[in-house]
Amino acid sequence: MKLQIKDLYVSIEGNMILKGLNLIVNGGETHAIMGPNGTGKSTLAQICMGHPSYRIESGDILLDDESIIEKTVDERSRMGIFLAMQNPIEVPGVTNFDFVKAAVQTRMKKDEHLRIGRFILKFEKASQDLKMGQGLAHRFLNQGFSGGEKKRNEILQMKMLNPKIAFLDEIDSGLDVDALKLVGENVTDLKSPDLGLVLITHYQRLLDYITPDFVHIMINGKIVMTGKDELIKKIDQEGYDWVKKELGIEDEEVKPYSLGTCPSKH
Amino acid sequence: MDILKHLKDESNLIIFTDDFISNNTEIKIKNNHLLFDKGNEFFVFLDNYTQKDDFIFEIKNKVKIYLLTSQSKRADYSIRFDLKEASELTLFTDFHAKTKTSSKHRLIINLAKKAKLDIMNALVFNGKIDFDLEVNLLEEKAEVTIEQLNVGADGVQHTVNQRVNHLAKSTTSKINNWLIAQENAKLNYHVTGFIAKGQELSKCHQNNKGIMLSDNSEISVEPKLLIDEYDVEASHGAAIGQMDELQLYYLKSRGMTESEAKSLIINGYTLPFISLIDNEKIEKILKRQVSRVIRRNS
Repeated sequence: MKLQIKDLYVSIEGNMILKGLNLIVNGGETHAIMGPNGTGKSTLAQICMGHPSYRIESGDILLDDESIIEKTVDERSRMGIFLAMQNPIEVPGVTNFDFVKAAVQTRMKKDEHLRIGRFILKFEKASQDLKMGQGLAHRFLNQGFSGGEKKRNEILQMKMLNPKIAFLDEIDSGLDVDALKLVGENVTDLKSPDLGLVLITHYQRLLDYITPDFVHIMINGKIVMTGKDELIKKIDQEGYDWVKKELGIEDEEVKPYSLGTCPSKH
Repeated sequence: MDILKHLKDESNLIIFTDDFISNNTEIKIKNNHLLFDKGNEFFVFLDNYTQKDDFIFEIKNKVKIYLLTSQSKRADYSIRFDLKEASELTLFTDFHAKTKTSSKHRLIINLAKKAKLDIMNALVFNGKIDFDLEVNLLEEKAEVTIEQLNVGADGVQHTVNQRVNHLAKSTTSKINNWLIAQENAKLNYHVTGFIAKGQELSKCHQNNKGIMLSDNSEISVEPKLLIDEYDVEASHGAAIGQMDELQLYYLKSRGMTESEAKSLIINGYTLPFISLIDNEKIEKILKRQVSRVIRRNS
């Protein structure tokens, strides 16, 4: 599967966040997107998922050459896009098991039936792989989870849903060293020619465990530089000022905006 | 849904219809007066019962009663429960209408000294209902917990008056209401806790939560505390809003359609109530009633 983002301009509450972003992610590739705070990295992931608070001003997002910008969030998910969120949402009363089961079932064809025994085994295996502890299935979705548990739970869902294009939005934040290694190993295990990965991160430490094929630096709403490992090391040592200096980029003032509590109403 | 189909094998089942009473229990029934003097679990089913005669349930032991109704015609009756000293009643009620109808039901419950009442009211009523619940804590250390789940389907109109009267010292009441209003449903609640003068050390708490599932649905809750005594504990609150859009987005981002996501969230919302029911058949009946309403409206 190929994800292609073409000259994308995206705004929220009148603030232009993405300003002509271009990116191609093919199955089997791992892309790391790095950049200073507020530069639009999470916006990129959310707009690909279809977050209703954001508005596409121009440009296109294509999945295997088919535009998806008119597709609903759930349609995009069933087409193969996955977003491991920076702040996973708590849903009281809905158990983790029921949630994942419903997500798996909604992907099945009409004449297919969920083989519950097989599903339980897969869920338990994924739970063990991520050291989620016993009782995860019956805990309410993300409610009372530590920051690290929430992030590991996102990866568990990814393992269960087999996406084709996955965005991991700051999956490393809130993880201690051991948990980071665990998440890194689990994501690396998922790598295959069928999966295109986009890692959004501020730090080198995640990329110590998941080796990217491409490293992109995003500043002021667009990708300004693409390279490989050497970029990660340089950013880790020197930050982003050298990029701005080298490319003559000036800092822009971005007005504060809110995603609100009712995104679908925007 | 044919509730009777689920209950017919129960050994402690009493059925009231307009034409006959079926009673396979040891409970004595005389002029709609039922005496529960032995501890046990009972099922009472009012099958399209429309008589004006009121009921009296007298509780003298530790008793669990599942009171279910199924209406397709207008009904108007009262049920009075008298809990004698140190008796305990766990009461589950399910006022259900098969077709759109209009009814008025009243529950009046009197508690004597150290009597304990746990009541779970499920209201998945199709049509218009006026439901009054009055609990009188008549003597010291009587206590009541009321849990009410109200799922209002398209176009229903439910008016509910709940009142707990603390008429003795050291009495305790807790009310938790979970309200869900679908398209065009109107749920109106008046929730009152009254502590009379001199009834010190009493505790009176109420909590109301509501979800409106469309712009055309309506939930109004009027929580009231009428306190005539200083040395008491009391609290009330009402939180009503629309479904959390971020939760919907999260579920949809995992492939669920809008209606699947809403159903899952509503099921989660009703779970704290449903998990209180410790009878599998009753749980199944209620889950079916709720999911049918949600499916029909989502």
